[in-house]
Amino acid sequence: MGLIESLELGLVTALTLENLFYCFVGVSVGMIVGVLPGIGHLAAISLLMPLTFHVPATAALVMLAGIYYGAQYGGSIASILLNLPGTASSAVICLDGYPMAQKGRAGSALMITTIASFFGSCVAIIVLIFLAPPLARIAMNFQSADYFSMMVLGLVAAGSISQGKPAMGLASMLLGLIIGLVGIDVNSGAMRLTFGMPELMDGVSIIVIAMALFGVTEVIASVGNGFGAGGKSTTVTWGTLMPTRDEWRQTPWPLVRGAAVGTGVGLLPGTGGGSMASFMAYAVEKRASRRPETFGTGNVAGITAPESANNAAAQSAFIPTLTLGIPGDAIMALMLGALLIHGIAPGPRVVTESPDLFWGLVVSFLIGNLMLLILNIPLIQLWVRILQIPYRLLFPAIILLICVGVYSLERSVFDVLLVAGMSAVGFVLMRLGFEAAPLLLGFILGPMLEENLRRSLLLSRGDPMIFLERPVSATFLGLSVLMLAWVLWGVVRPQRPADETTTSKSMRESMK
Amino acid sequence: MTSYLGSKDAVAGLVTMAIGAGVAIAASDYGMGTPRQMGPGFFPVVLGGLMAFVGVLILFGALRDREALPDVPWRPLVVMPLAILAFALLLPRTGLGPAGVVTVLLAGMAQRGRPGVSLWLLAALLVPAVWLLFARLLGVPVPFIAWTF
Repeated sequence: MGLIESLELGLVTALTLENLFYCFVGVSVGMIVGVLPGIGHLAAISLLMPLTFHVPATAALVMLAGIYYGAQYGGSIASILLNLPGTASSAVICLDGYPMAQKGRAGSALMITTIASFFGSCVAIIVLIFLAPPLARIAMNFQSADYFSMMVLGLVAAGSISQGKPAMGLASMLLGLIIGLVGIDVNSGAMRLTFGMPELMDGVSIIVIAMALFGVTEVIASVGNGFGAGGKSTTVTWGTLMPTRDEWRQTPWPLVRGAAVGTGVGLLPGTGGGSMASFMAYAVEKRASRRPETFGTGNVAGITAPESANNAAAQSAFIPTLTLGIPGDAIMALMLGALLIHGIAPGPRVVTESPDLFWGLVVSFLIGNLMLLILNIPLIQLWVRILQIPYRLLFPAIILLICVGVYSLERSVFDVLLVAGMSAVGFVLMRLGFEAAPLLLGFILGPMLEENLRRSLLLSRGDPMIFLERPVSATFLGLSVLMLAWVLWGVVRPQRPADETTTSKSMRESMK
Repeated sequence: MTSYLGSKDAVAGLVTMAIGAGVAIAASDYGMGTPRQMGPGFFPVVLGGLMAFVGVLILFGALRDREALPDVPWRPLVVMPLAILAFALLLPRTGLGPAGVVTVLLAGMAQRGRPGVSLWLLAALLVPAVWLLFARLLGVPVPFIAWTF
């Protein structure tokens, strides 16, 4: 199928009334949770996942993806107006966005970030359109050994490039793999780790895990932090929305550099929700600038590049997810979960065997971004008002939706109990330094990892050398070993008092 | 200065080791099989072993980095799961209406004090709306009010 025909098919799919509706719902919800500090897009996506049971696969993915990139737009609003990041990836926008607002340029900052978001997304979508089909073709030649090694690399990367300590990331990833084992082993029929509970025979649902670890624990943490005072009102008048000519002149190159950094970073595994992309883009921009000392005081380039980058990353993260079936972060793992719920096996075959889903989703990204561009500016007053919803009324509503949502999956009270238990245990583990994102990634990839290991060893008659004899597999394993060696070095290397750069430290702090 | 075994990383390392070892031991009963024909126990034993090993690494790293155990927000940590538990226990007995109201009020108390007017109002509006969404729009068969103790 040629590119033009593919895009035509995508357009026809994305423009059905149903998909347009779910796209609109997705981006609106995304925008709202992006604006609101205290609820992340992960919580929102987990919250809406039960709904995807009731709609076709394409509509479900269109909606969930819309929440994700919609939140990237909304995130910067709270950063600029309140100096509070609405999402982790927009934390860096605070650095120059809030000073701009203090100088009375909030409107112009919002306008510029909206345009940067749109530009970054479009660049990454174009890369996706051209890169995904050939990548899927290459991946079609992969054998189970290659898949196994690729998953190992994805998991090791997700564990070690995590927000906290790499060893804790790896432990979380392994715990996720273990939870993925719970239930009947499809090959032998043996019950594994079910502790004699028949309800666990079919394993733990990804929605239960996501709700517990991203929904409830996030609410507990926010309430525990005394969150919920409600934002101070900041007024944005129409007059200040238009950037000055001088501000316009500073935007083009940061836009391009940000989009390039973001698209590249989004492709890598384990880079987590665009935060790394926006921080890297900020660092690159500061280095490229002729006046780096103006960063942090309201530099236009300091909001343009990161905003362009995190939106680009949000879109390009779909490339490995859809073509290889390897999710780069927790959100992409949830997307794969939604595919699995609908009985679609993730991997390169999605592009060729479900072209309407793949291309429909891609075109819906373009449509969704257009909707966001249109929604964002005229409704700015509405977004500012949403910032003032008191959190103490928001979180009981979230808890209720989680309860009803989980129950609606299988009409199982057991699943609701499981959420209660997992959220309490999960919260304590997270306070100890465990992380939810690599855990979820391990959970999703676990069964596939075991299956590919089994198949490879069956093929090689039990000879583990198969993983080193195939060049693709050997490369992936080699990279994994390098990464693990780096983690090990971090543990045993002699102590130095200041071994953290300021960028990585501020990044870590802002992502807490 | 925090004591070694009381530091955050030491506790995390011990927990990781315990989970890993527990899984490896539990799974060793499942049958390891041969490399050519992996048994159901092979993969879990390997994962458990790896996790226990990572636990040792974390414990080792804790020698250097003695971070104090973080504060735990007890009130929300206890009340929030309790609100969910209440929902699970009440739903089959009272239907979604009463179960939902109790959950909203309990969850609201996670922050402080007793439920105020705004919380009651929220419960009164939200619970029927959620029931309409799930029961009517999405067709999940769940009664609004039931009485089966």
